[in-house]
Amino acid sequence: MFEEASEVFDNMFKSSFPLTFIVFIPAVLILVSPLPAEAAHEFTVYRMQQYDLQGQPYGTRNAILNTEARTVEAEVLSRRCVIMRLVDFSYERYQKALRQSAGAVVIILPKNMSTMPQDIVQFMELEPEMLATETIVPVYFALEDDELLSIYTQTLTSSSSQGSSSAAEVLIHTATANGFQMVTSGAQSKAVSDWAITSLEGRLAGTGGEDLPTIVLVAHYDSFGVAPWLSYGADSNGSGVSMLLELARLFSRLYTYKRTHAGYNLLFFVSGGGKFNYQGTKRWLEDNLDHTDSSLLQDNVAFVLCLDTLGNGDSLHLHVSKPPKEGTAQYALLKELETVASNQYPEVKFSMVHKKINLADDTLAWEHERFGIRRLPAFTLSHLNSHREVQRSSIMDVRPHVDLRKLSRNTKLIAESLARVIYNLTEKGAPGDLQIFTEQMMQEEQLSSVVDWLTAQPRAAQLVDKDSSVVSTLEYHLGRYLKDVRRHYVKADKRDPEFVFYDQLKQTMNAYRVKPAIFDLLLAFCIAAYLGVIYLSIQKVVERLYAKSP
Amino acid sequence: MLGLAHNQSFECAGREDASKLVGEFASVGLPGNMTLFHFGNCFALAYFPYFITYKCSGLSEYNAFWRCVQAGATYLFVQLCKMLFLATFFPTWEGGAGVYDFVGEFMKATVDLADLLGLHLVMSRNAGKGEYKIMVAAMGWSTAELVMSRCIPLWVGARGIEFDWKYIQMSFDSNISLVHYIAMAAVVWMFTRYDLPKSFRLPVTVLLGLCVYKAFLMELFVHVFLLGSWTALLVKAVLTGSISLCSLFLFVTLVHSN
Repeated sequence: MFEEASEVFDNMFKSSFPLTFIVFIPAVLILVSPLPAEAAHEFTVYRMQQYDLQGQPYGTRNAILNTEARTVEAEVLSRRCVIMRLVDFSYERYQKALRQSAGAVVIILPKNMSTMPQDIVQFMELEPEMLATETIVPVYFALEDDELLSIYTQTLTSSSSQGSSSAAEVLIHTATANGFQMVTSGAQSKAVSDWAITSLEGRLAGTGGEDLPTIVLVAHYDSFGVAPWLSYGADSNGSGVSMLLELARLFSRLYTYKRTHAGYNLLFFVSGGGKFNYQGTKRWLEDNLDHTDSSLLQDNVAFVLCLDTLGNGDSLHLHVSKPPKEGTAQYALLKELETVASNQYPEVKFSMVHKKINLADDTLAWEHERFGIRRLPAFTLSHLNSHREVQRSSIMDVRPHVDLRKLSRNTKLIAESLARVIYNLTEKGAPGDLQIFTEQMMQEEQLSSVVDWLTAQPRAAQLVDKDSSVVSTLEYHLGRYLKDVRRHYVKADKRDPEFVFYDQLKQTMNAYRVKPAIFDLLLAFCIAAYLGVIYLSIQKVVERLYAKSP
Repeated sequence: MLGLAHNQSFECAGREDASKLVGEFASVGLPGNMTLFHFGNCFALAYFPYFITYKCSGLSEYNAFWRCVQAGATYLFVQLCKMLFLATFFPTWEGGAGVYDFVGEFMKATVDLADLLGLHLVMSRNAGKGEYKIMVAAMGWSTAELVMSRCIPLWVGARGIEFDWKYIQMSFDSNISLVHYIAMAAVVWMFTRYDLPKSFRLPVTVLLGLCVYKAFLMELFVHVFLLGSWTALLVKAVLTGSISLCSLFLFVTLVHSN
């Protein structure tokens, strides 16, 4: 038959040249065509943090994946992609996967995270531990949907049955079950060069001559979590930023009227890179104190108040690095806060927490320590007792974590105390329960909408660049109430960078159904048997046909 | 990956470990080049029965290859005409997604009568015994259908990483088509015989109608009974088998009675 075929093709070649082109060009094109990718399921995965801070690497180093899926119950995990659900997640299992140098770990987060508070708390505790050591294994987070769940259950049944049954059962099982190959699109992660962290400042100038004292209000707007694309940072520090904007609005209203225009300059600073050791604040201070001739920060600074995580809880802690001395404006604010809290908001437990700045630590504790290092009187107000609390850097910190009534109560408290300091009300004999800001002035809907907007997108420092909508919207908002709104950029130093960010933080993962190698061999065997039967039966039929005919 | 399984085998001992080893080997993932093996499997399943039929029916002794290619070219031409006809005279039916347009699909299936005409054309151009004509026409026709409608999906799809049973089903389907076209060619040949006895007219016509509308009947079954893909394949095989057995019986009777 092949001789005849070659004859035919020879004729075809000799007879008409264009015909062969028509036949062969499509054939060649089809042969060399790239394979279309038809996956069983395609979903977005969010990679764990990867950054260097002050030369120290943190997080996962790898971003490529092309391995088979397993769950943690399987015996062999090395170079496989381990899939875990959040309900089954525990640190020992995670360590087991890392020890066996798994190809990757994919953690499936449930759609509705608030339904299982136990798991959430446990996971929040584990987040810093996961980030503490640098690992080669890429860790991904995926949001659960039905197909992903079915992939997980199928992988679970095949993984957990591996060690227990006999060889025959295993063979049958591999013939019928589905394996999954997980492949990520995208390249290996590399450092992002020239990333600019943006911060914003604005001011309200006081009245009554030169050399007025300045009060600085600071809040950092970025968020942090084990996965940058999933860190919404509602309480930490969306609450701080929304409170800052509300204070800006209130005091700008007061400052428009001559009668209420006070003799203090108010400087508002929304800083970026706060979760990465307060990079925005650090560079802003350097620029203002070292590189400019005159700046509000160089002259008379009354105090710096940093707002950090104030959206919940019934306690308020004023964190200081040096207890304020009597007679300073710092001390006055401390006293006013105590007065207002005890008189107007008795449910709030107010206290001062004294923690010395420890320069030997890897990172600074609170934002006020940056100012403290430059000898500016500063403190941080927070409902958290310690800077090590896991709520400050968790992906579970989403909008429901902010209690709007408590946030607005805290805002009122701070606004009242600031007003009493600025207008010197205690010296003038105003009683402790005098409310300066009436109900109409405080706009809870505005607070609520700002918090909602802030928590609608992830605000990790690696994701907010200078063209980001977060920055421009904040700039616009500040511009409505403050004067001289300016941007301030921080870029890492070229030779000795304080921070290095990496890309490939959000990737698409494809799950392909695959069958094990032995399945193809089994199939080939069956097909060979089938073809043998066909051959024999055709031969029989032909024999009988030709035997009957004369 | 296979190397890793090998290394592990040297450390294992005992029966449990052996079964574990089998499990580990069995579950070694499929690298990219093994999927070519799967394509090879499907292609072998699809194509070898054709090869076997060609060899065993003795066509190779008659140098029938070129004639089969001509029959295949006629197939292409007939399919082209059918497509043009359908595109011109049957507008796209804008109806609901789930409702099955019985009448429309029935009319479209009637166009498949052109297949019969094409087979008749091929057979009338070939001189020779009845079986020779039938086999040449059927082989050329079904091989052309195999190349046109199955090879490309197999090449594109079965080589990919993703595994799907539909490629094996497609290959089985091509086997069934071969039998179907042999039966169809035989029935057409019998229908055009001038010396067909009266008693055979009716069964031959019925079989002819069944051949043409077999595809329509299959879609009907799948739609009404909501058959799974493997069940549908089985039903198709049974249907084709019964048609071919009837036509074989009639053919043998006709040939022996002469």
